[in-house]
Amino acid sequence: MIKLKINGCEVTAKEGEFIIDIAERNGIDIPHFCYNERLERIGACRLCIVEVKGIDKLQASCCTQVKKGMEINTHSPRVLEARRINMQLLLANHSLNCTTCKENLMCKLQKYASELVIEDSIFGETQRKDEIDNSSVSIRRDNNKCILCEQCVRVCNDIQTVYAIGMTKRGVNTRITPAFNNTMKQSSCINCGQCVVACPSGALTEKSDIPKVLEALNSDKHLIVQTAPSVRATLGELFGLPVGTPVTGKMVTALKNIGFHKVFDTDLGADITIIEEATEFVKRLKENKNLPLITTCCPAWIKFGEQFYFKELNKNMSTCRSPQAILASLVKTYYAKKIKKDPKDIILVDIMPCTAKKYEILRPEFKGEADFVLTTVELAKLLKELNVDFQNLPDSEFDNPLGFSTGAGDIFGHTGGVMEAALRTAADLIAKKDLKKIDYKKIRSMEEIKEAEISIAGKKIKICVVHTMGAARKLLEQIKEGASPYHFIEIMACYGGCIGGGGQPPPHNKKTLKKRVNALIRVDEHKKIRKSHKNPAAIKLYKEYLGKPGSEKAHKLLHTRYYRKSYV
Amino acid sequence: MKILQKSELKAWKKAKKLGPKKTIQLLKKQGLTGRGGACFLTGLKWELVKNAKGNKFIICNADEGEPGTFKDKLLLEKNPENIIEGILIAAYCINTKQAYIYLRGEYNYLKDSLKKTIEETLTASRSSLKIDIIQGAGAYICGDETAIIASIENKRGYPHFKPPYPPQKGLFGKPTVINNVETLANVPLAIINKDWNDSLRLFSISGNVSKPRVYEIKVGTKLGKIALLAKAKNIKAVCFGASGGCIPYNSNSIINAEHICKEEAMLGACSLIFINKKKSMLDLAINIAQFFNHESCGKCTPCREGNTHILKLLEKIKSGKAKQEDIELLEKLSITIRDTALCGLGQSCTNHILTALNHFKKDFKVR
Repeated sequence: MIKLKINGCEVTAKEGEFIIDIAERNGIDIPHFCYNERLERIGACRLCIVEVKGIDKLQASCCTQVKKGMEINTHSPRVLEARRINMQLLLANHSLNCTTCKENLMCKLQKYASELVIEDSIFGETQRKDEIDNSSVSIRRDNNKCILCEQCVRVCNDIQTVYAIGMTKRGVNTRITPAFNNTMKQSSCINCGQCVVACPSGALTEKSDIPKVLEALNSDKHLIVQTAPSVRATLGELFGLPVGTPVTGKMVTALKNIGFHKVFDTDLGADITIIEEATEFVKRLKENKNLPLITTCCPAWIKFGEQFYFKELNKNMSTCRSPQAILASLVKTYYAKKIKKDPKDIILVDIMPCTAKKYEILRPEFKGEADFVLTTVELAKLLKELNVDFQNLPDSEFDNPLGFSTGAGDIFGHTGGVMEAALRTAADLIAKKDLKKIDYKKIRSMEEIKEAEISIAGKKIKICVVHTMGAARKLLEQIKEGASPYHFIEIMACYGGCIGGGGQPPPHNKKTLKKRVNALIRVDEHKKIRKSHKNPAAIKLYKEYLGKPGSEKAHKLLHTRYYRKSYV
Repeated sequence: MKILQKSELKAWKKAKKLGPKKTIQLLKKQGLTGRGGACFLTGLKWELVKNAKGNKFIICNADEGEPGTFKDKLLLEKNPENIIEGILIAAYCINTKQAYIYLRGEYNYLKDSLKKTIEETLTASRSSLKIDIIQGAGAYICGDETAIIASIENKRGYPHFKPPYPPQKGLFGKPTVINNVETLANVPLAIINKDWNDSLRLFSISGNVSKPRVYEIKVGTKLGKIALLAKAKNIKAVCFGASGGCIPYNSNSIINAEHICKEEAMLGACSLIFINKKKSMLDLAINIAQFFNHESCGKCTPCREGNTHILKLLEKIKSGKAKQEDIELLEKLSITIRDTALCGLGQSCTNHILTALNHFKKDFKVR
């Protein structure tokens, strides 16, 4: 450990640590745009500059390592002057229509501009007049707001290895765009929305479906909403509650208050996914065929697989639908029949943590099922628009018959959760009894690749859990080469799983995500029933409607297939 | 010119006899410093990489793009043998089997002859070194050593913050020596000639002179003498490339790094552009600002965005519509770019404005 001074106060640090990290640890917020703890440091925005005694030029604190005895000033008059000029330069090339911007009041550029007391634009108006790219069903790209911090490019290329966007041209003409200036729709984008979360200036935002949902709320249709497992763990943050506060009851009340007739729980879909997937897994394991089985709850990963690994890995992908698609199918068939309504008179809105779900519901095989997807962030906006006093709402329960779920369904929302839920059921199925040991803590960490070997009824099963597509690519390559030692693999495209999804509130740093994971784990632990196949609502559904897990009807309604996808 | 003397592998043979350690010692003793502008001790640079374990590389920086600089071109045309021999010796000293020459896009026409020289020299020296020529595509920024690395790695030609310096973490993350053409051409001569002198350098002289060309001049020569050589008359200022800034003409000015630094300019790669009294420094500033506006890579905010506004402010002054506050903003912006930009290009791209504002304020008229 070494000692140094920041703004006159002595602090300790490890040799080689970067100034910005030490400052943050000591409660000093240095404005920054290009720095992100999970991405390669590039030192491009030059907002985090600080003064270091004895060094002539100002130093970017995100990429300057500390030395013993260093004296750093993060907010000296010289620093503030330079920072203000650099901020002015960014603002001069950013379209300043803040009040009509989706990021308004959540925008980092706005926040730091206000903190630096920027009042007049000294360099005049922006010259950029780029066309807005609305081609993607999930992501809106407005280059006129881009400040070229490259976070999106690094997330897309380095973390996700999707390479949908990159840099083009140079100097003041530099732009971030898909290859050959194509649209997002033509690109290899998997709609995961990690770029949206990373973007500090509103250049990348989710495609909003709020107006359509508002219109639906005012129609005379039967209105159903389903909420994904992870939304309950994050929605509170957008209403000022501490990170990691589950708000299931308030969320249900809020949705009922704004006019939904029934609030269903995607967790039940998750439980059914598990019942089907565990059945599928046990069958494949018995036949020793098409292993490893790969989970397919994540639409971003599905698109990734269809684009890059269809030929080799199509057979490994579980045919089981995602929880969202399962519940959607049940709403428009089972439930519609039950309440004697034409499915066309039912509108189903999905509240999802995910921008890729907007893409999933538009897949031709799911046509006519879910109608709209709102992300967590969009739901908060909608509730605010309708003046819902969220914090003071009482709790309510989900509605029957599609509202009861187990703890296994809850943990679908974080990395390792799908695997843990599947193992709880598969273990029982293989051992043919009700096993007591149901916690698989090994796969709950935030490591990108987590593996474990478990033995069920004397059978050794190797599993692997992976999040982020870059990490997944490593496993996929291994399977392609026929060298995969695993029987069962869980893939989630976003870091941390759905709690870190593209529709979740930023920031997505390790600390925040870990708290969200713990919130879901707590929800699970407080549930009486924690195994999917013990879900009475699911059991009833199979009995009344679906028959046995893996039956023909179950296959028709709960399974799907994949297609080779091409991209430019 | 002494630099055009051909070593004909004499230095290579001597280095082989001395061994890497002693060769590096000899270069350090001779005091050979880098000719790219930073004047780092070449022997020391090699030593840093020599001591590193594992894969390493040597790159010859032949991306000479600074306005008013054309000395490397002369060497690549007239004495490529010495450059290749310098690369051979460097590779031998640091123990690598792979070298690169990063050739400026506009010097494409030299590629074939350079290839031939490489083949001939490698055959004659019986070395197993591999020397690849990588062609630039015309970006000024790719003269920056970290941008060269990115470019050779098939990435966008973006500079990277330092440290880590290339000798610590360079091409493909491995320790890398990057030397300028003139430095490498000097290596054989410094090894074989006892009376070799580090202060003898190639000067690119251009501007309002009758005899613009490359001169071999000792650092420390008086400006008046250089003006006489190049036949420069009625001179009011001398610019050191585009990025070094300018100083008012004084025949007694001593042309060395320290003296010019005192005048707040930078000698850099010894490029002198003479400006006569008929010229306005504002016009020159506009010309240079256009260059940097075009060549900024776009990575960091101050250089990318700042250079357009520098140009706009200068054009406003030219149009006669500028006020005193525009001059103040120009100065403030220039200082911010200098103090906060990421790479050498950004940090020096406003030197010409700051020095001109300092010495030739009259040329920047406001209402």
